[in-house]
Amino acid sequence: MSTTHATSETFDRNARAALADPVLHGALRNLADSFVVRRQNAIASAGDWEGLRDRARAIKDETLLHLDQYLERFTENAKKAGATIHWARDGKEACDIVLELVRAKNANMVVKAKSMAGEEIHLNEALEAGGIEPVETDLGEWIIQLAGETPSHIVVPAIHKTKQQIADLFVEKVGIEQTDNVDVLTQTARKILRQRFAEAQVGVSGVNFGVAETGTILILENEGNIRLTTSLTKTHIAIMGIEKVIPNFADLDVFLKLLPRSGTGQRLTAYQSLITGVKKNADDIGPDELHIVMLDNGRSRMLAHPLTRQSLACIRCGACLNACPVYQQIGGHAYGSVYPGPIGAVITPQLFGLSKSKQLPYASSLCGACREVCPVKIDIPALLLHLRSEIAEGSTAAAEATTRKPGESFAFRMYSRMWSTSGTYSLSMRAARLMQRVIARDGKIGKVGGLISRLVPPLGAWTAWRDAPVVAPKSFREMWREKKK
Amino acid sequence: MKVALFVTCLVDQLCPNVGMATVDVLERAGCTVTFDERQTCCGQPAFNTGYRTEARDFAKRFIEIFETSDAEAIVIPSGSCTAMVKHFHEVFEDDHEWKERADRIAAKTHELSSFLVNILGIDDVGAISNGKATWHDACHGLRDLGVHDEPRRLLNKVGGLEFVEMENADVCCGFGGTFSVKFPEISAGILDNKIEMIEKSGADTVVACDASCLMQISGRLSRIGSKVQTKHIAEILASQE
Amino acid sequence: MMQSSSHSDARSAIFASIRENLAKSAPFDEARHEPSPVSSAIVAPPATDLLEGFKESLELVGAKCTFVGDESEAAARLRAIVSDISATEIIVSDSELVHRIVNAAKLDAIEDASRDELFSSDVGITSAQFAIAETGTLVLESGAERHRLVSLVPPVHVCVLNASSIRQSMAEILELVDPDANPTITFVTGASRTSDIELTLAIGVHGPGELYVIVIKDR
Repeated sequence: MSTTHATSETFDRNARAALADPVLHGALRNLADSFVVRRQNAIASAGDWEGLRDRARAIKDETLLHLDQYLERFTENAKKAGATIHWARDGKEACDIVLELVRAKNANMVVKAKSMAGEEIHLNEALEAGGIEPVETDLGEWIIQLAGETPSHIVVPAIHKTKQQIADLFVEKVGIEQTDNVDVLTQTARKILRQRFAEAQVGVSGVNFGVAETGTILILENEGNIRLTTSLTKTHIAIMGIEKVIPNFADLDVFLKLLPRSGTGQRLTAYQSLITGVKKNADDIGPDELHIVMLDNGRSRMLAHPLTRQSLACIRCGACLNACPVYQQIGGHAYGSVYPGPIGAVITPQLFGLSKSKQLPYASSLCGACREVCPVKIDIPALLLHLRSEIAEGSTAAAEATTRKPGESFAFRMYSRMWSTSGTYSLSMRAARLMQRVIARDGKIGKVGGLISRLVPPLGAWTAWRDAPVVAPKSFREMWREKKK
Repeated sequence: MKVALFVTCLVDQLCPNVGMATVDVLERAGCTVTFDERQTCCGQPAFNTGYRTEARDFAKRFIEIFETSDAEAIVIPSGSCTAMVKHFHEVFEDDHEWKERADRIAAKTHELSSFLVNILGIDDVGAISNGKATWHDACHGLRDLGVHDEPRRLLNKVGGLEFVEMENADVCCGFGGTFSVKFPEISAGILDNKIEMIEKSGADTVVACDASCLMQISGRLSRIGSKVQTKHIAEILASQE
Repeated sequence: MMQSSSHSDARSAIFASIRENLAKSAPFDEARHEPSPVSSAIVAPPATDLLEGFKESLELVGAKCTFVGDESEAAARLRAIVSDISATEIIVSDSELVHRIVNAAKLDAIEDASRDELFSSDVGITSAQFAIAETGTLVLESGAERHRLVSLVPPVHVCVLNASSIRQSMAEILELVDPDANPTITFVTGASRTSDIELTLAIGVHGPGELYVIVIKDR
């Protein structure tokens, strides 16, 4: 079941492989094309969209600035309603907690609703290692579970797969007849997973929002598997990132207006479950026990500066992925992280360490499309620039000094020195004008290979796909001087 | 109005005629243009690649040079360089004195098309340029500076020019500074989408306010043997044919 | 079971980390923590007629909505639906309104369905405590009615409610529902769906693939 997954350390290799995949290209093109239209329509029905974004960001800022207080209030109220609260400093601790809870119920399988936090802590691997069978029930997650893959998108985990690939997968793993009918594939999943729901005793889910005022957790979905996971089972385990808390019940309105529109272009998803503790009477429908696992795993560190703290405002809508020209080219797996795309490029280094993911902050043209579509106005380009300066200048802990690039660092120091006076600047450009004679033809520079591209790698990289302009025989300042005579 | 030109290193060295065109347009619009030869670069490549120490050196130089000017405005034929100037305060962290100086300079710095329309209040510079042109919204100009309507207004007043809007005009061209050479394959992929939209628009010329985007786009157009040209908006606005 | 000392260790460690990091950020917060311009009220699009708005919203999400004048008309509509979908096994919630209408419709239905009856049923009939016109949403409060599984497991869900239960906006509903008294509050907007396969919409994944709503207009 487990294959070796690409890591963020080999990002450039991963990206090249992704670019060479025409099937992936088609799937991503489909995503990019449909996203723009769906989002426009969704925003049109929202009223004051900018006002909603400002309000949501203000709520998040307030909450994060006082996170300890809101977490206390949330967990106290959840406990009062009958939930059991657990605390996990890191992913391993969270997995151990879940494993122990499942074992205490003598369950040998659990049904799982889609949870990015669950993916983050590699819960399925931990469950399997502990002899428990995790059964993903979200269609996209079940597809990738069958394929032995990781999700490539925060909202649509199997977006990298075509219908044909999914059909082939079902034929191979589940034994249906070949088909290209999406409804047939969906009904196949429904039938098979129903049987697992019917026997499940323990359900595991994530949490979209935790309301401090009432101790309520809200989980939203379109399929109904979360409702089944949280109402058919006897024990519900919910994994909640500590940043998911919001102050008041009424605040849910703002987020319910932003998240479905940003994530899937819907005014509302089909179902929202607002769960407050456990049932009051033994013969009511629903689990006897609700366990909420509060997960830190690096989040608290991000509180240390307002710039990084905004990363925690993320409501996991995936809009930034859909809008990103880089994601549109390479898809999610290339990032080698559970969180891909623009938000992934900024939280992966922060959660899991800069040295393991030092290419990610550079894998962006800084176009800002992500910031434009983010419902909580996270300034992702500013975060990317901040991480780039951490990497280039190595200002964090000594361990991170392994991210500095001496050659590049030297080059930028030289550029700054040479161009610190117009005299040396002009001198350097005169030299460039001379040297380019070797490679310039007909007023431009074509493909540069061999020794020169090894000496000046950027030139090789540029000219592999594009002609390069030559340094003009006369610079503007020379023309200006002549004009002034 | 007296304006100080920051011509940008790219224009100065790679497409100086854009600089001359910028001067022509500003003079025709009634400005007196000054050019301080001490200028070199705004330091954007250093800032964007994470080298804040070097970026700070460039910022200080820029600020010091332009503080000596009595011009009412600093005009730049580049959205990204203008955005860099507006972001100078970020390299000064806790240094309040330099931050204030940076903000003062930033307040009087404008991208060319924005300067013409928003400061001078003109959208007709008496230009003539026959052909069919489309506009590429360079990312910094669009999203950092809000430049969108201004170039369209200016181009629509150019005699003989048929302006067509391309699909996804506001999508990145894939340049992104060092991104274009750190991840050239991804950059080229994004670029090919832009080329596709340019071709689909039927335009014979792509216009933008940023020489870096134009370099990216023209580099690929030239490599694939396309007849489509690229022009900086200054060149179109200075044109008299 | 859980080592209580490691549990409280984790809790203390996390809170300590939160407080420590917020303290680090404090000097920058004073300079930057300006209140953001926030709208004082959510500007909702103007409300049209509540019932018409509700019906339109329901139709937008593919649910079928019928207005009826009284319970006997509701019963007739219910009979028609059951016949249309050729349903033989009907399960119901414990709503008295639902019971009255099912009886009036002379239909056999199972209340308190067992696991097997749940999974083999053709249609589930419930009421709803509230509904939202701007989105076509049914609001189910678990403390008021046993409808969690009846509204979820069968392939078709029929919901009968009084027009007086309908409100315009989500904001109003969030004021009205009671999370203290209702361990689960469920919002249902249309049928179960997914776009996980090539972004192509497929209806009826895990929840019901069809939703019928019968609204009894108040006298």
